[in-house]
Formats: sequence, structure tokens, C-alpha cells
Amino acid sequence: MPGKPFDVSLGIRHLVCGSCNGCEHEVNALGAPQYDSTQYGYDIVASPRHADVLTVTGPMTEAMRDPALATRDAMAEPRIVVAVGDCAIGTGAWCNAGSAGAGAGGELDAEVHVPGCPPTPDAIIRGLHEAARLLDLRAGRKR
Amino acid sequence: MPLRAMQRDGRLLGAFADAERRHYLGLVDGAIRDVQLSRDGQSMAAEFPMLAIDEREMVEQYGISLDGLPKDLVVEGRGLTTFVVGPVHAGIIEPGRFTFHSGGESIVHLEAQFGFSHRGVESFLEGRDAVASAWHVARICGGCSVARSWSYARVLESFHALAIDEASEFARMICAELERAYNHIFDLGVAAAGAGYGFGLTRALELKERFARINARAFGHRYLFDAVLPGGIRAESLNDRRALRSDLRALRDDVEKFAEQLFGHHELMSRFSRAGVLPYETAVAFGAVGPALRASGGTFDVRCDASYGRYAQISPIRATAHDGDVASRVRVKYDELRESMRLIDVAFDELGDRPIPLPQHVRAIAGDGSAMTEGPRGAEILSLRTDQQGRVQRLHVISASYRNWPLVTRAMEGNIVPDFPLVNKSFNLCYACGDR
Ligand code: SF4
Repeated sequence: MPGKPFDVSLGIRHLVCGSCNGCEHEVNALGAPQYDSTQYGYDIVASPRHADVLTVTGPMTEAMRDPALATRDAMAEPRIVVAVGDCAIGTGAWCNAGSAGAGAGGELDAEVHVPGCPPTPDAIIRGLHEAARLLDLRAGRKR
Repeated sequence: MPLRAMQRDGRLLGAFADAERRHYLGLVDGAIRDVQLSRDGQSMAAEFPMLAIDEREMVEQYGISLDGLPKDLVVEGRGLTTFVVGPVHAGIIEPGRFTFHSGGESIVHLEAQFGFSHRGVESFLEGRDAVASAWHVARICGGCSVARSWSYARVLESFHALAIDEASEFARMICAELERAYNHIFDLGVAAAGAGYGFGLTRALELKERFARINARAFGHRYLFDAVLPGGIRAESLNDRRALRSDLRALRDDVEKFAEQLFGHHELMSRFSRAGVLPYETAVAFGAVGPALRASGGTFDVRCDASYGRYAQISPIRATAHDGDVASRVRVKYDELRESMRLIDVAFDELGDRPIPLPQHVRAIAGDGSAMTEGPRGAEILSLRTDQQGRVQRLHVISASYRNWPLVTRAMEGNIVPDFPLVNKSFNLCYACGDR
């Protein structure tokens, strides 16, 4: 976990790949004053071009596969994908349904997996801390 | 019964197909009727435009051929600009694609394309035990999980003519009204955000979070998944009622303070008024349900007009408005939110100290039926047919969002492009339960 507040900044783009919306409740809750992820320097940004982290939810649907890959590939390196929720990590309700994949996280090479149906906002923030740590390693930064 | 008579004496709800035929659902005298037509044949959408999306789905998913199915509008003209947004958006929202045709700043026509969240949930459940599928049904959409689970439970219970005890029914009512409340408070916030009033969203998120925590304490899940079950309700944690009620009262007071700030904000209200007007006639022609209908002068509310649970005993006061604009929809949602808080209070009074029994055992058996529950966005309809072993043969969901989406596009006509987020968020419909 990062030490002092504001010693890290993450731009986060969120992508829904067939989620039921439950996970979006909790990603939205990061903006509630009770959690306020901006206190860690984590902010939701409008474009993948601005993002360091891609959070993804859902099992992946056929219709979202190409837009999702294009979104991830639009991000600059180093970047990291965080799978949020059981569907995204491959154990959720709709994994392998007729028009669904086995988890958006697996398909987009997620390196951080946050379980839960949906995961609590605290769990998502822990996932983001982990993403920040991995990005630092990748950039050769120490903290 | 022909559809025309169904529409005259009641209301059309929607349609779907299975391997053998087409089913058209309508509500007549408080009961859902299923009018069946041959697989291929005449489209009903030419006469009942609300059915165009249902019939297109039949064609796409069941390969049915229908004569006279209205075609997509082709929009062309000098000076028109066409641009496409989505399925990836800038916010934390679900995927949809919107094609705007605008003349200058004004929207001439808006098309919405869906299906990006299509997982194939209905066919996935075919062949599975119908009772065990309740867990999946709760996860078709996270914004109306309770309403859908309640519809599903009622269909399965009807197969056994199973009666639910009074205490469980009051607990279900508390649960469903909590779902409405947390949705509506969030909707007030996103509507404010749609007009650029960030404080409104932050404050609404704070209040929504307090609802989520109360939900978890009362029913074991922050968004009330798996609370309403076939045979009863999982409310073992609805024990500390005194503390829950006092927290709910404090929350209600803070919701009211927030509403005073919102509705007292002159500039905000002037942005809300006359934006995204949905005329009554359009709302009715396209089968609008829920707050979207009631803000345009309609009155239909499943809790009052096709009552279930204990709603006949504690009947909700309908919230209505007549302008059909963003201001009306926001107002109706706030009035409903307040009414939900009152219903929760009355239900707690009725419940008293009675314990809530564990759910009765329900076995999956053969049956065929539909049920409808008033969710936060309107009527949440579910049809189920099972085989002799109690396995799902056909499950179909007609969600309130599915019914209402075509109205969002119509409400946008003549509005300026930058007002799309505002108008859209004043409906705040889901995609997951429409795409399925
Ligand atoms: S993990 Fe649960 S809450 Fe999240 S999308 Fe899947 S079913 Fe919905």
C-alpha cells in the first residue's frame, strides 16, 4: 500500500464487459465521501488515453470483445488491467453463458483480481493499491 | 382475446417467442394474460409500436419471420450531422451505442443500439433446475435484483399455490422499498451531475452508501441480492429492528435536507425544467412504465394496479407529475423515495416483534406462469415455463428499462446535444436487464 497520501496518482478507466451492474454500484461508491478514492490520488478518467489502470467487470460479451481490446490497446504503457468482481475473474454467475466469455479479466490479461459479487469498495481500493505497486515495479520506481 | 381488446381493457406488457409460438402478455383485471400466436405471421408492431423491439428480438433470436415489421428509420437530409458515441463511454456506466442526427445543436433523431451486455442469460438457464436458478435470476441486473427475484419467487410459488406468511411478506416489502430508495437517491444525484452540479452527486453517493450499509445489515447484501427467495425471504439479520429504524429515520432526515438543497437550487431547477419532454401520448403509445410514465401524467403502478404481497393492505400513494420533463421525473422519484420511507416505517410497525421464518422449501415442478413487480424503474415482468422435472424450458424477462429505452430517444428529439447526459440520467435506465 502506498505510504503518504498523494504520493501516487492513478488515472483509471472503467469498462463494463457484460456486468450485471452490481459491480458498477461499488466502483461508483469509490466517489462517495466514505471512501473517496481521490485521497489516494486515484481518479476515474474519461478516456483510456488518460489512464494507467483499466478496471473491467463482467464475463466479457461477444459484442464487447473488440471494443474492450481496442480500449485496452489505446492505453499507454505501462498499463495494468484490474479484474473487478467474480464475473470478471472467471467465477461469476454469467461466465461461459451462451454469448459470454470466461471472464473479462482473463481475456484482457488482468494482473490484479478482486473477488466478490460485487466486491466491496474497500476491496476494490486494495486492488488499486496493488495495481499502483505493480506499476511502480514496472517503472523501476521504489517507495 | 385479441390484442386490441387487451389494450382497450387493460394494458399490453410485451411479447416474446419460444420454439413453438409467439406470446403477447397483457394485464387485464389485475392478472397477466398470455395471448399466443403462430410462430410466423403478421407483425403486431405496426398497430402497437411498443412491440417493435420485442418482435425484432423474436426475429433475431428465434429466426421468426414477421410480415409488416416496421423498419428502422433512415435519416438523411441536408445540413444534418450524424455522429456515433459508444459503446465505451466516459463515465462508470454500461455499454450502449447512440447515433445522433443533429441539425446544428438540436437533435433531430437519436438511435440507441443495445446488446453489448447480452450474455445469453435466458438460454443459459434452460435445462437447469428452476429453483436453483433463483441465484442467477438475482444477478441478471444489479439495479433491480429484488424486484426480479420477487417476480421469480411468485411464479414458482404459484406453481405450488404456496402462501407466504405475513411476516415474510412485510419483510419483502421493506426489502423492495429499500431497493427503490437506494436507486432513487442515486438517480437524483446523477441527474444533478448531468447538469454539472457535482455536489449533488457526491451528496447522493454519501446517502446511497448509507442505504447500502443498512441493506447489508438487514438482508445480508449491500444491494439486496438473494434476499427474496422462492418460499420466503432471507432476513435472519433483520433482528436489531430498533437500531435499523433509528438509522433509517436519520437517513430520511438527511435525504430531506438534501432534497431541499436540490429543489431550492434555482439554476439547477431551471436546467431541469422543459428539458427532455416526454409527452403523455408518446409515453402511452410506447408502453412506458414506472417513474418515466408517472412523470408524464400516467398513473400505472404495479403495487396499486396489480397488487401483490401486502401492498393491498398498505397501499402506496402514487407519485405523479404532468410536464414529462427532467424536473418532473426527478420530482416523481423524490416523492416515491419519501413514500418508500413511509412504507418501510409502516411495514416495520406491522411486523412488530414477530420473527421472520426461514424460507419454506420449494421444489421445482412443472408449471407455466408470469409475474410482475414494481421495481425502481417500473414493472419488472418475468415469464417461466418448466418441464416435468422442474427444469427451465423458457424463461423470459421484460424489464422496465427495456420498455422505457425507446422513450429516452424520443424525449431527446428537439433538445440540444449537450443535454443528452441530463435527459438520459433523468431516466437512468439499466442495460443489463434489457440486453440479458
Ligand atoms: S460479479 Fe456479481 S455483481 Fe459483479 S457483475 Fe458479476 S454478478 Fe454482477
